[in-house]
Amino acid sequence: MPSLKNIAADLPPVQKTRRVFDGSFMVLLVLTLAGGVAVGVVSGWARVGQILIETFEFIAMLAPKIGAGIFIAATLPILLPRERVGRLIGRESGVRGLVVAAACGAALPGGPMMTFPLAAGLGVAGADLGAMVAFISGWSLLGLNRTLIWEFSFLPSDLVWTRYLLSLPMPVLLGLAARAVMQRRLA
Amino acid sequence: MNILIGTVLIGSGAIWLWWQLPNDAWRSASYRASLDTFLFTAPRVIVALLGAGFFAELLPEDEVRQLLGAEAGIAGILLAIALGPLTPGGAFVSFAIGAAALKAGASPVAAIAYVTSWSLFSTTKIFAYELSFMGRQATLTRILVSLPVPFVIAAMASLTG
Repeated sequence: MPSLKNIAADLPPVQKTRRVFDGSFMVLLVLTLAGGVAVGVVSGWARVGQILIETFEFIAMLAPKIGAGIFIAATLPILLPRERVGRLIGRESGVRGLVVAAACGAALPGGPMMTFPLAAGLGVAGADLGAMVAFISGWSLLGLNRTLIWEFSFLPSDLVWTRYLLSLPMPVLLGLAARAVMQRRLA
Repeated sequence: MNILIGTVLIGSGAIWLWWQLPNDAWRSASYRASLDTFLFTAPRVIVALLGAGFFAELLPEDEVRQLLGAEAGIAGILLAIALGPLTPGGAFVSFAIGAAALKAGASPVAAIAYVTSWSLFSTTKIFAYELSFMGRQATLTRILVSLPVPFVIAAMASLTG
């Protein structure tokens, strides 16, 4: 892990703001409204109100965790710029490089709009496709922020543990498989 | 209990990270970014959780048990894997759907297969981000090598469970 301490003299990087209402949010909104209307027609509008109350109670219970998770997801990219993560993964090679890439993928919070640009930048930093695949798979299968905030909140913990432990070796194996595919293509 | 453990872990991580911010300029940049992320995330979380609640209500329990329950066997696992990529939206949508299906009678192995398949092959992620940033060849290679993973994990989960 690169040191975070020698940054006091620098200014924090400027972050871009994101559009709140985009296409995928609209799809989600329309699906939810349709679901609400369907419940109202099938089970009655009282049931719709009940689901509204239950959902907001659930959100209130999750609020501290979501708040802390949002702070981490917003702050870590400021402290740990993607160029630095890229260099860290790029200078490793072999299986060790895949392990580092998978671990970085699992540890870095943030959605696809953060992860894929970073993964694409790994190539520039010297990483191969195997490391990119290990990084993306580490984020997809083992993302800590997502599992701790969302998965453990919704699903039974034994199920989450089973899934997580079985997935643990996958990013490195997928990285090796991607390397094998690339070698075959070049041969 | 799960929620409490997660809250403590995430909370400690957040406090440690706050400690790493060297001065006021960095702290206010972090607060600005946090507010921006909050404004982006909060409407999505609220709408997605409401939608999941509505769809859980609409799920027909008999069909869910028949199609995704333990008796459905391998066909149920295959259906769960096929449903993963079709799930729109972020992580909370897929976990909420998995939880709703479990409540309605789906087997734990089907839920694991579904979540794994969504994680690796979410079409939202692939079409909106991966293809444009990674290009076609890298994306196809990743999908190709990842194809067996949900099946392998489901097989191992049914052996352990």
